[in-house]
Amino acid sequence: MILIDKLCYQSKLRYVNATEKFVYAVLSLVFCIVSRSAAAAVLVFLANGILTVGKGKIPLSHYIKLLLVPAAFLLLGTAAMLIDLSRAPMDAFAFRIGEWYLTGSTASLTRVCRLWITALSAVTCLYFLSLNTTMTDILEVLRKMRLPTLLIELMMLIYRFIFLLLETASAIMTAQESRLGNRDYRTKVRSFGAMASALFVQSMRRSDALYDALESRCYDGTIRVLSQERPAKKKEIVGIALFESLLLLITIWSIIE
Amino acid sequence: MKQEKEWVIEAEHLSYTYDGNEKPALDDLDLKIRRGHKVAFMGGNGSGKSTFFLCLNGIRRPDKGRVLIDGTPIAYTRKGLLDVRRRVGIVFQEPDDQLFSASVYQEISFGILNLGADEETARKKVEQVIRELGICPFQDRPAHGLSGGQKKLVAIADILVMEPEVMILDEPAASLDPKHTKIVREIVEKLTMKGITVLMATHDMDYAFGWADEIVLMYEGRVLKKGTPLEVCADREALEQTNLEVPAVLRLYEKMRQKGMASQKGDPPRTMEELERRFL
Ligand SMILES: Nc1ncnc2c1ncn2[C@@H]1O[C@H](COP(=O)(O)OP(=O)(O)OP(=O)(O)O)[C@@H](O)[C@H]1O
Ligand SMILES: [Mg+2]
Repeated sequence: MILIDKLCYQSKLRYVNATEKFVYAVLSLVFCIVSRSAAAAVLVFLANGILTVGKGKIPLSHYIKLLLVPAAFLLLGTAAMLIDLSRAPMDAFAFRIGEWYLTGSTASLTRVCRLWITALSAVTCLYFLSLNTTMTDILEVLRKMRLPTLLIELMMLIYRFIFLLLETASAIMTAQESRLGNRDYRTKVRSFGAMASALFVQSMRRSDALYDALESRCYDGTIRVLSQERPAKKKEIVGIALFESLLLLITIWSIIE
Repeated sequence: MKQEKEWVIEAEHLSYTYDGNEKPALDDLDLKIRRGHKVAFMGGNGSGKSTFFLCLNGIRRPDKGRVLIDGTPIAYTRKGLLDVRRRVGIVFQEPDDQLFSASVYQEISFGILNLGADEETARKKVEQVIRELGICPFQDRPAHGLSGGQKKLVAIADILVMEPEVMILDEPAASLDPKHTKIVREIVEKLTMKGITVLMATHDMDYAFGWADEIVLMYEGRVLKKGTPLEVCADREALEQTNLEVPAVLRLYEKMRQKGMASQKGDPPRTMEELERRFL
């Protein structure tokens, strides 16, 4: 998560209008899932790869590493759907174990492959959004979509405070380390407990101080802020519209099939 | 036109004790601050500087005594508090306690929108402050990607954009490198030029001696000594009690006078540059 946050600030697509990116990612995701078509999935997978790595200049190695996480998970999940235990061998493959066969059919193999690529493409849509859009920009889009303000304010504060908490935690841990707080298992456990309680106390103090600081600036119960709008470009909108229309066609076609 | 009062802040017999503490953080504190003055607050850790500042814009309500802003006591009602906070801005000691948003732009726009500015004016002001403080190079970075000094600048911009009459800086130079310290000091200079009253907590006696119109020495929640830098530095007992050193220029100047290298007439120089200019 921290890695994604770091990368998104370096993305070359960061300053592209956030609503555009949001709409693109969500529509592609929906079409991918609704159509269940391998063609749509491959198309989306490629498009996201080209956009994120090619245009956004997110390092390929990072992108692959991030993709491997859900890919491995999906592989394990779909393996169970693919492999059957039966007395008769099926057409795709079969391994004999005594009286029984560890076997699978071609039909289920194609189904699993399609499912796998669909799910992976869906994940790339989310990666595209989060690797090329900063959290604050995403929150801005959600605000425009009239999500409850309370929710957005909470997300905004949580996003800021996750990092403060991590900073404090790592500072405490370094301090403990330098005093041999991790010498063996016992001290390690004790150190961790001490850190957790120190973190809790600090967080309480922090939230008090933050409230004071907000009040100092005439806080009245709602957090109003200005965001920096990046203008939407015609070329980009047309591109997104074309791409999504293509996906729509594929979706309709695959539903009729 | 409301007539401008001479005293912009008056604190009368302030006492404040934090919940659960035995010792009061402020103990019968009496202080008046002249409009447009530069006032340095000095004193050891826990002497009550930050607490006093929080009383000045109504965040802490004193147990006893009262605070007057422009001659009117703070009204602890919604409207009264908003009014006080519009006039008295505080840059907090820890920028991490103050910055609530990951985005610099959002962060700075918060205060001015709360003052009821429309979007266009707010945008203009925010961008102007960003330019003035030299925040441009890192304005697109998230708050957690900023250095301590950069965070401090953003924290100052937060308040500056609201254009308060009184600006309080709680240890603005803490944890800053020389470059950022210089930037912050130039900003403070500009503020006074605009006629803003600046209160600053600092541990740097050399700086306070050169900069301030008045120095307030705090000790255990009280004002131990208040006066021009020269008056305060003449009271060696008070300096000793608050563990402060005589500023280097003054020490050097006194030595030079003893040895007959400097004339006996005129005020002592306030900064090293002045000393160099006059005597070397
Ligand atoms: N939030 C708090 N809760 C309880 N006690 C507090 C709180 N803040 C300050 N105090 C206590 O009040 C006293 C005055 O603290 P204050 O922060 O005003 O001092 P200060 O002069 O700003 O010190 P420093 O130079 O360390 O910033 C101290 O004894 C401190 O322990
Ligand atoms: Mg303080």
